[in-house]
Amino acid sequence: MNRFYKNILIFTFTAPAFLILIGVVFYPFIYNLVISFSNMNLRHITDWKLIGFQQYIKVFTEPTQPGFYGIFIKTIIWTFVNVFFHVVIGVFLALLLNQKIAGKSVYRTLLILPWAIPQYIVALTWRGMFNYEYGSINLIITKYLNLPAIEWLKNPTEAFLACILTNVWLGFPFMMIVALGALQSIPDELYEAANIDGASWYQKLKNITLPLIRPVMIPAITLGVVWTFNNLNIIWLVSNGGEPSDSTHILVSFVYKAAFNLYRYGYAAALSMVIFVILLFFSLIFMKKSRATEAAY
Amino acid sequence: MITLTKYLKIVLNFKIILFAILSILIISFLPLFNSCKQPSNPDRIVIWHQMRVDERLILEKQIRKYMNIHQGISVEAIYKETEELRSGFIIATIAGQGPDLIYGPSDQIGPFQVMNIIKPLEKIFDSTYISMFNPKGLTWFKGSLYQIADKLGNHLMLVYNKSLLQKPPQTDIELIEVGKKLTVDKDNDGKIDQYGLVWNYTEPFFFIPFMTGFGGWVMDENGNPTLDNREVIEGLKFIRDLRDLHKIIPREADYNIADALFKDGKSAMIINGDWSWAGYQKAGVDVGVSPLPRITSTGLWCSPMISPKGYSININVSNDKINKVVDLLKFLLSEENQLETALELNTMPTLNILYEHPSIINNEILRNSKLQIEHGRMMPVDPELRAIWDAMRPNYQAVLGGAKSPEQAAKDMQILAIRKINEMNE
Repeated sequence: MNRFYKNILIFTFTAPAFLILIGVVFYPFIYNLVISFSNMNLRHITDWKLIGFQQYIKVFTEPTQPGFYGIFIKTIIWTFVNVFFHVVIGVFLALLLNQKIAGKSVYRTLLILPWAIPQYIVALTWRGMFNYEYGSINLIITKYLNLPAIEWLKNPTEAFLACILTNVWLGFPFMMIVALGALQSIPDELYEAANIDGASWYQKLKNITLPLIRPVMIPAITLGVVWTFNNLNIIWLVSNGGEPSDSTHILVSFVYKAAFNLYRYGYAAALSMVIFVILLFFSLIFMKKSRATEAAY
Repeated sequence: MITLTKYLKIVLNFKIILFAILSILIISFLPLFNSCKQPSNPDRIVIWHQMRVDERLILEKQIRKYMNIHQGISVEAIYKETEELRSGFIIATIAGQGPDLIYGPSDQIGPFQVMNIIKPLEKIFDSTYISMFNPKGLTWFKGSLYQIADKLGNHLMLVYNKSLLQKPPQTDIELIEVGKKLTVDKDNDGKIDQYGLVWNYTEPFFFIPFMTGFGGWVMDENGNPTLDNREVIEGLKFIRDLRDLHKIIPREADYNIADALFKDGKSAMIINGDWSWAGYQKAGVDVGVSPLPRITSTGLWCSPMISPKGYSININVSNDKINKVVDLLKFLLSEENQLETALELNTMPTLNILYEHPSIINNEILRNSKLQIEHGRMMPVDPELRAIWDAMRPNYQAVLGGAKSPEQAAKDMQILAIRKINEMNE
């Protein structure tokens, strides 16, 4: 208690931040939790009442089109594919940029560009590029590759692929910057020692580079998973709200539609709690299994 | 070893100090929370709107004029995208806040009325004032007036490029004939360089004229969807044939693509709304607008939905502020301001007196627009329309994508609409 008493200055300094957290995180979270057990919707916006787990039951059993499980699987695919390519491309480019090459800062700036452009602009530009007749993607495919044009935005699989391609382009710079920072913190002595031992490029990558960037990359991947899982913008804008025929939704765009198109606030709150629990468990398990909090050295 | 007395002293001291610090912090933070609440300042009027840039510029000019006349009154117009405007307004008003005035299309009135977040206006404006407006510009719902518009229409018309087409088609047969002539592969590379007609395939709002041309409509008088019938199927078949049989429209087009094709002279005609015409003129296209054609087999005009765009008053506007809000609203809806807006944007005003104004009568676009409004049908304001759009959208897209037959799409639209309405009203 004496130590606690001495730390009062620390509590004083952290109290304002804590108060703001109460206002912008804890209160909305608790409010969302409460309305997830309520019947709040268009007809009961002010006179809502608690109805137990009914909204949660609806989330898992309601025959929506598309259904919860289909969207969930699609969300997993969306998240896994995106984060996989973000990390692979990001780390690959970071390894290249970490070499002694001329004009490194120019390359670095160019590669960060996708991250610097507002998502809204990126999404709408890519949507235009995926147009069947006038989009640059199909023009390249037909003119230079002599392949038939693809109906990117009209078929469910292609439309979903179009969203993924856009998000891969948008997301790799973050991983690249994180990986580059981690690479630059690895002492040169380790590579020098490995060179003396006659280690190959692959052995150095496997035994020095990857283990030493892991403590930085694991939290970045966890963040990437959470962000991608909850990335409404790209899906919503590239596929124009789930087109074609509501077949490109991921869970978060489905929640958005339920809440703001159909005013089903209780249902949307329950579904968002389900998303929260999924992400919470993923993060805890992933961090534990990957031993992200352990020191690298 | 710490004694009990010392321990109590420390604990008590600690609690007192902690309590004092937290109290000071909370008190110092109170203005922050209070500022979020935005206590109603009777001299500050806030408008939320979803106006486009050209509309916004005129609104801001008119607001500046108002503030010059009324020194001490501050008017702030805040733009929000349509969906954000609705959801933000709902959330803010439920929390007892929000703007004093909300501007938008009439279809937001249904949900707002059900949620009881806007004021009935017939109790605020006298009947003489209300009677000055075209009834189509006044949105009544469940026996009360909830919105007074400054623009009437928001309607689709056939817009054509006069340098490519001199006389717009009057019937569906003429549309197909003209469309075939104007769909050309100029360089013989097997690709169409210019289409006869384009429009946005992704929004069912653009399907409505074809549906009405064959005698269909979205709902009955009780708000029940009426989508699985011969009229809707015929409308769907017609647009599918325009693409697959007559080949006068592109395989794929959303709003931006259709808009760009027309602006670039790659399409002779476009079906688009009154919001777009001024933009085409500014882009250098010699545009003409014409009512959408008549369907020969039914003898019916392709009737677009007509929707006024106007102002509603937040339920939370206090009694000591309402007169100032009403005064501003009357200014914005005044003859002078509506005329300025109509002539700059080519949109139809709502004050009856302006329909006799020479500038309106002699404006070709506005004259044709008035004709189209007469052919059009008022957009329902029932909240169920939201669910109906949502049910129509994927199925309309599926027909144009070749994934569903018109018969199947109509059937699925109806089933989905009923289910979504039930979900909304659960």
